Amino acid sequence: MSADHAATLDAFTKQNKINYLLLSDFRRTMLPGYDALVTDEKSPIFRYAKRAYYIIDKNGVVRYMKVQENALDLLDPADVLKALKDSGA
Amino acid sequence: MRRMTPLLLATLLLAAVGLASAGPTAALEVGQKAPDFTLPGPGNKPVKLSELTAKGPVVVFTFIQAFTNT
Repeated sequence: MSADHAATLDAFTKQNKINYLLLSDFRRTMLPGYDALVTDEKSPIFRYAKRAYYIIDKNGVVRYMKVQENALDLLDPADVLKALKDSGA
Repeated sequence: MRRMTPLLLATLLLAAVGLASAGPTAALEVGQKAPDFTLPGPGNKPVKLSELTAKGPVVVFTFIQAFTNT
Protein backbone atom coordinates (compact mmCIF):
# COMPACT_ATOMS: atom_id res chain seq x y z
CA MET A 1 0.00 0.00 0.00
CA SER A 2 1.26 3.46 -0.81
CA ALA A 3 0.04 6.95 -1.68
CA ASP A 4 0.81 6.35 -5.35
CA HIS A 5 -1.99 6.48 -7.91
CA ALA A 6 -3.62 3.12 -8.70
CA ALA A 7 -2.35 3.30 -12.30
CA THR A 8 1.21 3.78 -11.02
CA LEU A 9 0.87 0.73 -8.81
CA ASP A 10 -0.51 -1.29 -11.71
CA ALA A 11 2.56 -0.41 -13.78
CA PHE A 12 4.85 -1.15 -10.82
CA THR A 13 3.15 -4.52 -10.28
CA LYS A 14 3.53 -5.43 -13.94
CA GLN A 15 7.15 -4.35 -14.18
CA ASN A 16 8.22 -6.18 -11.04
CA LYS A 17 5.89 -9.18 -11.45
CA ILE A 18 4.46 -8.57 -7.96
CA ASN A 19 2.14 -11.35 -6.88
CA TYR A 20 0.36 -9.61 -3.99
CA LEU A 21 -2.21 -6.83 -3.86
CA LEU A 22 -0.98 -3.27 -4.10
CA LEU A 23 -3.57 -0.72 -2.95
CA SER A 24 -3.53 2.99 -3.60
CA ASP A 25 -4.27 5.53 -0.85
CA PHE A 26 -3.87 8.44 -3.24
CA ARG A 27 -6.50 10.43 -1.31
CA ARG A 28 -4.86 9.67 2.05
CA THR A 29 -8.03 8.25 3.58
CA MET A 30 -6.49 5.18 5.22
CA LEU A 31 -2.95 6.23 6.17
CA PRO A 32 -3.77 8.79 8.93
CA GLY A 33 -5.87 6.31 10.96
CA TYR A 34 -2.97 3.87 10.88
CA ASP A 35 -0.41 6.50 11.96
CA ALA A 36 1.24 5.83 8.61
CA LEU A 37 1.15 9.28 7.00
CA VAL A 38 4.22 11.53 7.22
CA THR A 39 2.91 14.80 8.68
CA ASP A 40 6.23 16.60 9.21
CA GLU A 41 6.24 19.43 6.66
CA LYS A 42 10.04 19.49 6.75
CA SER A 43 10.31 15.85 5.74
CA PRO A 44 11.27 15.14 2.11
CA ILE A 45 8.46 12.58 2.12
CA PHE A 46 5.79 14.88 3.60
CA ARG A 47 2.29 13.49 2.82
CA TYR A 48 3.72 10.15 1.66
CA ALA A 49 3.30 6.89 3.56
CA LYS A 50 5.66 5.86 6.33
CA ARG A 51 7.15 2.41 6.22
CA ALA A 52 4.85 0.36 8.42
CA TYR A 53 3.74 -3.21 8.98
CA TYR A 54 0.45 -4.47 10.43
CA ILE A 55 -0.96 -7.93 10.98
CA ILE A 56 -4.74 -7.95 11.16
CA ASP A 57 -6.59 -11.11 12.15
CA LYS A 58 -9.78 -12.47 10.64
CA ASN A 59 -11.85 -10.49 13.14
CA GLY A 60 -10.22 -7.25 12.00
CA VAL A 61 -8.16 -6.88 15.18
CA VAL A 62 -4.58 -5.58 15.00
CA ARG A 63 -2.29 -8.36 16.26
CA TYR A 64 1.02 -6.74 15.37
CA MET A 65 2.14 -3.34 14.19
CA LYS A 66 5.44 -1.64 13.57
CA VAL A 67 5.63 1.90 12.24
CA GLN A 68 9.17 2.87 11.27
CA GLU A 69 10.13 6.49 11.82
CA ASN A 70 12.99 6.01 9.36
CA ALA A 71 11.57 5.10 5.96
CA LEU A 72 14.72 3.15 5.11
CA ASP A 73 14.30 0.76 8.04
CA LEU A 74 12.94 -2.29 6.29
CA LEU A 75 12.07 -5.33 8.34
CA ASP A 76 13.43 -8.69 7.25
CA PRO A 77 10.53 -10.54 5.56
CA ALA A 78 11.41 -13.55 7.71
CA ASP A 79 10.79 -11.44 10.83
CA VAL A 80 7.38 -10.38 9.50
CA LEU A 81 6.50 -14.02 8.81
CA LYS A 82 7.64 -14.94 12.32
CA ALA A 83 5.50 -12.11 13.72
CA LEU A 84 2.55 -13.48 11.75
CA LYS A 85 3.04 -16.96 13.23
CA ASP A 86 3.66 -15.63 16.76
CA SER A 87 0.64 -13.29 16.63
CA GLY A 88 -1.80 -16.19 16.55
CA ALA A 89 -3.78 -14.32 13.87
CA MET B 1 -27.43 40.65 29.86
CA ARG B 2 -25.95 40.11 33.34
CA ARG B 3 -28.21 37.10 33.85
CA MET B 4 -26.87 35.64 30.66
CA THR B 5 -23.26 35.86 31.75
CA PRO B 6 -23.12 32.81 34.10
CA LEU B 7 -24.94 30.72 31.53
CA LEU B 8 -22.58 31.87 28.81
CA LEU B 9 -19.56 31.13 31.00
CA ALA B 10 -20.88 27.68 31.83
CA THR B 11 -21.43 26.96 28.17
CA LEU B 12 -17.95 28.10 27.25
CA LEU B 13 -16.48 26.05 30.09
CA LEU B 14 -18.31 22.93 28.95
CA ALA B 15 -17.18 23.52 25.39
CA ALA B 16 -13.57 23.92 26.54
CA VAL B 17 -13.72 20.72 28.60
CA GLY B 18 -15.23 18.90 25.63
CA LEU B 19 -12.49 20.07 23.30
CA ALA B 20 -9.76 19.22 25.78
CA SER B 21 -11.05 15.70 26.36
CA ALA B 22 -11.52 15.08 22.65
CA GLY B 23 -7.83 15.77 22.03
CA PRO B 24 -6.00 14.20 19.10
CA THR B 25 -7.30 10.93 17.66
CA ALA B 26 -6.03 8.00 19.71
CA ALA B 27 -3.21 6.20 17.95
CA LEU B 28 -3.84 2.69 16.69
CA GLU B 29 -2.55 -0.04 19.00
CA VAL B 30 -2.23 -3.81 19.08
CA GLY B 31 -5.51 -5.34 20.28
CA GLN B 32 -7.66 -2.62 18.73
CA LYS B 33 -10.00 -3.06 15.81
CA ALA B 34 -8.22 -1.96 12.64
CA PRO B 35 -10.09 0.86 10.89
CA ASP B 36 -11.81 -0.65 7.86
CA PHE B 37 -11.01 0.88 4.50
CA THR B 38 -11.79 0.51 0.82
CA LEU B 39 -9.01 1.47 -1.57
CA PRO B 40 -8.45 1.08 -5.30
CA GLY B 41 -6.46 -2.01 -6.17
CA PRO B 42 -5.41 -3.55 -9.48
CA GLY B 43 -7.36 -2.11 -12.40
CA ASN B 44 -8.68 0.61 -10.06
CA LYS B 45 -11.12 -1.92 -8.59
CA PRO B 46 -12.08 -1.25 -4.95
CA VAL B 47 -10.67 -3.60 -2.32
CA LYS B 48 -12.13 -3.65 1.18
CA LEU B 49 -10.04 -4.68 4.19
CA SER B 50 -12.92 -6.47 5.95
CA GLU B 51 -13.52 -8.59 2.84
CA LEU B 52 -9.87 -9.65 2.92
CA THR B 53 -9.79 -10.40 6.65
CA ALA B 54 -12.98 -12.48 6.29
CA LYS B 55 -10.81 -14.94 4.35
CA GLY B 56 -7.99 -14.99 6.91
CA PRO B 57 -5.31 -12.85 8.54
CA VAL B 58 -3.91 -10.00 6.44
CA VAL B 59 -0.43 -8.48 6.44
CA VAL B 60 -0.58 -4.79 5.52
CA PHE B 61 2.64 -3.13 4.47
CA THR B 62 2.91 0.54 3.61
CA PHE B 63 5.79 1.86 1.54
CA ILE B 64 6.83 5.29 0.40
CA GLN B 65 6.78 5.41 -3.37
CA ALA B 66 6.68 2.98 -6.28
CA PHE B 67 9.57 3.00 -8.76
CA THR B 68 11.99 4.11 -6.07
CA ASN B 69 14.13 2.08 -3.68
CA THR B 70 11.71 2.93 -0.85
